Amino acid sequence: MSEAGSPPGLPDHYFRREFGRLVAALSRRFGVHRVELCEDAVQTALLRAVQSWPQRGPPEDKSAWLYRVALNEVLGALRRERRTGVSAENAERLAADSSTEEEVYLEHEVRDDQLRMLFVCANPEIPRESQIVFALKTLCGFSTEEIALRLFNSDEAVYKRLQRARTTLREHVEDLEQPALQQLASRLPAVLEILYLLFTEGYSSAQPQQMIRRELCEEAIRLGRLLDEHPVGAAPETAALLALMYLNAARFDARVDGAGGLLVLEEQDRSLWDRELIRIGVSYLHRSARGERFTRYHAEAAIAAEHCMAPTYEATRWQEIARLYQMLDTLAPSPIHTLNRAIAIAEWQGPEAGLALLEPLHPPSWLLGYYLWDATLGELYRRCGERERAVGYLTRALAAAPTHAEKGLLQRRLQACSISGEPRARK
Amino acid sequence: MPTSKIKFLCLYRFAAAGWPAKPSSPEQMQAQYAAWKAWMTKFEKELIPGDGLLPGGSVVRGGNVTDGPFIEAKEVVASYGIIETDSLARAVEIVKACPIGMDPGASVEIRQLGGYSG
Repeated sequence: MSEAGSPPGLPDHYFRREFGRLVAALSRRFGVHRVELCEDAVQTALLRAVQSWPQRGPPEDKSAWLYRVALNEVLGALRRERRTGVSAENAERLAADSSTEEEVYLEHEVRDDQLRMLFVCANPEIPRESQIVFALKTLCGFSTEEIALRLFNSDEAVYKRLQRARTTLREHVEDLEQPALQQLASRLPAVLEILYLLFTEGYSSAQPQQMIRRELCEEAIRLGRLLDEHPVGAAPETAALLALMYLNAARFDARVDGAGGLLVLEEQDRSLWDRELIRIGVSYLHRSARGERFTRYHAEAAIAAEHCMAPTYEATRWQEIARLYQMLDTLAPSPIHTLNRAIAIAEWQGPEAGLALLEPLHPPSWLLGYYLWDATLGELYRRCGERERAVGYLTRALAAAPTHAEKGLLQRRLQACSISGEPRARK
Repeated sequence: MPTSKIKFLCLYRFAAAGWPAKPSSPEQMQAQYAAWKAWMTKFEKELIPGDGLLPGGSVVRGGNVTDGPFIEAKEVVASYGIIETDSLARAVEIVKACPIGMDPGASVEIRQLGGYSG
């Protein structure tokens, strides 16, 4: 998110960000059904910049320069289309457009354009995973290959999802007529969910692609802030989502050890937590407390804040965290939340209390194959001194763990099982 | 004896099959921009800016005008520039450091100017 300091002269990710801004601005002018044409035009404009800026130096107003080049590209393409008689509708639109060719590129308008695009991509007809891919492509300026790399997906899968989103947008005219942002406001929950998933996708895994996946988190935060700065998006739950993103991002560096292994909370060096991000997160959390609504984002942000504010693992307010997980489980019922609540209860009242919550559960089959379920049960049994059961669960978890870092962690726990079968001393 | 500078014309060629190249992502383009900019800054005393060459144009051959081919269809000249330096060896050294080398199939033709027009 840095805006300065990257030699020579362009801020980090300037082209990628500019891609999103320009596509959004042009799509407002020419309609969302033209989004591919707009993307190609922006691509061409960026290529021109690569070719001419190094020699002559970048123009004073780089954004305006790029906008003009891209705009002319779109107009040229529409003219060619009209000549070949593709449709009369284009001719009409074109006539309306050519008078505004000298239109200026206004910063605040472009911000609105990007927001509009974000709401457009939250169209309920588009499956969630396609929405995310579309947002990454159109708003964040990632290529199909770059998206595939970041989402651990194949190029074709990403391409298919992208096409699905584009086709749906073409078929659903209500988005084509450039609706006012306010008309799309009812989609705020869906927009927040897209940003939430984008963030979790980036956060959920460490090595080996940690750095590039972290960009997903940065994009989620950037778009979240964009949303929060506009009346249409500045709801308490937006602030709560930003709080939860900042408070989790603050712990990014501390999650990985020198060798790239994933560290659990207990093992993390808290001095590595980013105090500035925690401060921003907490201020968003305060702002989120306006109004009546308490959403799952509020609950998750509050949980993250509890962890961030705790001086040590032992001094964490586990009782409060268990309570928040219970609220979260009520707001957004999921056995995962119960699982996390059990972990908090185990820290608060001992492993037996945690197990007491989990043992009567009949977890759905997807959860039984989920390594965290086995890993948690394994760890709690280990703490209770039930070595055999612990080894059984931990071995199963090890086989299903998705990353090397997580496997490493489970291996350490398995070793701890064989070294000491004694129940962990509880305070 | 004072050594006078020699001018070399550089023709930057790309493989026709890959030109226009497979589109780079904005992030990649920014990296390319940075690489070109760094190269031009490093050798700014010796590089005289040329220009890019747009596709298309005409060929006049024996009074007949065609729209190509200019040279072998396998490659296209995408831009030109001039290097003013001490020797061909130095010009080669500069071109070897050029980011165009990252593009497979690309080549640079270096020709000393005759200086006939003074």
